[in-house]
Amino acid sequence: MLHNLWNLFVGFFRASNFGFGGGAVFIPLMQVEVVNRFHWLTNAQFADAVAAANALPGPVGTKIPGYVGYQIAGWPGALVGVLASIGPTALIVILLGGVLMKYANSPKLRAMLQGVRPVVVVLIAKTSLQMAMTSFSGWVTWAIALAAVIILYYTKVHPAVLIVSSLVLGLLVFR
Amino acid sequence: MLRDIWNVFIAFTRSSNLGFGGGPATIPLMQNEVVKRYHWLTDEEFADALAVGNALPAPIATKMAAMIGYRVAGLPGALMGLLGTVAPTLIVVVVLSHFIMLYAHSTVLRAMLKAVRPVVVILIAQTAVSMGKKSFPRKATWGIAAAAAILLYLHVHPAIIIVAAMIFGYFAFSPRNHQKS
Repeated sequence: MLHNLWNLFVGFFRASNFGFGGGAVFIPLMQVEVVNRFHWLTNAQFADAVAAANALPGPVGTKIPGYVGYQIAGWPGALVGVLASIGPTALIVILLGGVLMKYANSPKLRAMLQGVRPVVVVLIAKTSLQMAMTSFSGWVTWAIALAAVIILYYTKVHPAVLIVSSLVLGLLVFR
Repeated sequence: MLRDIWNVFIAFTRSSNLGFGGGPATIPLMQNEVVKRYHWLTDEEFADALAVGNALPAPIATKMAAMIGYRVAGLPGALMGLLGTVAPTLIVVVVLSHFIMLYAHSTVLRAMLKAVRPVVVILIAQTAVSMGKKSFPRKATWGIAAAAAILLYLHVHPAIIIVAAMIFGYFAFSPRNHQKS
């Protein structure tokens, strides 16, 4: 149990605190820890966690640790996962907020973040490919994906709506 | 004081939990609470706080809540800001997680999840595409992407690739201030 909690702390500490560049980057970094490294979930199960996170408001970087942490070690797991994800930077902004304001707009920092962005794109693309390998079985799943592409491209439907309606569709089609 | 702490809690509960689409979607809502409703910060101060938040890793919404909550009401303010941001969706996501585990073998749940997974793949792919459009302003960025893809294929941990890319960016993309005359 304690061992699990420690692993949850390490996994989500790493995933969140190397996640530069906005919400979406946490998904590939967390997948690396949750699926590839600690084998807590399969790629398909991790997709369920992302679906749950996308269907709810609030930060992605706390919902996935909560979801996964709870499955591994109950409420303590969820709390440890969230704490590992948000604790370090919360402390940094409290202790150093004033100092950081001087450097936040520095061109050197912006140059560093510009270097990271292509990496983030590659990470996210790789995660979606890996998930695709376990998510497509039969033409109906391809049709759902195609429909999702068309809806996202031509309308402004919110992703949460897509997730909920695909759950209902699955209930009707795959049972 | 107690009133301030309570206001911090309410402000961040509202802005975080009415914002669909992850942390970044909550920023305008947060600005509305922090600048317009409670006058804790001016627009300029909020922009500075946001710049600090964007310079650090980890979720943006919790960094903003800790920073602004601390400014308004010290450590209790920071804690209540974080609680308001995180707690409501944490409870809901844990309940969802619980039911998905509980009914893991139910055919109903399996049917539903089978249909949602392709949608998740598309949503993540779409994020890669829309971020991709803004992330390649010059040729060297394509080189970084190619190098990252190769390193990932070789099972190098993403954290190492990210740090390496930052170091590369520091040397390659920093504006040259002291040009030789």
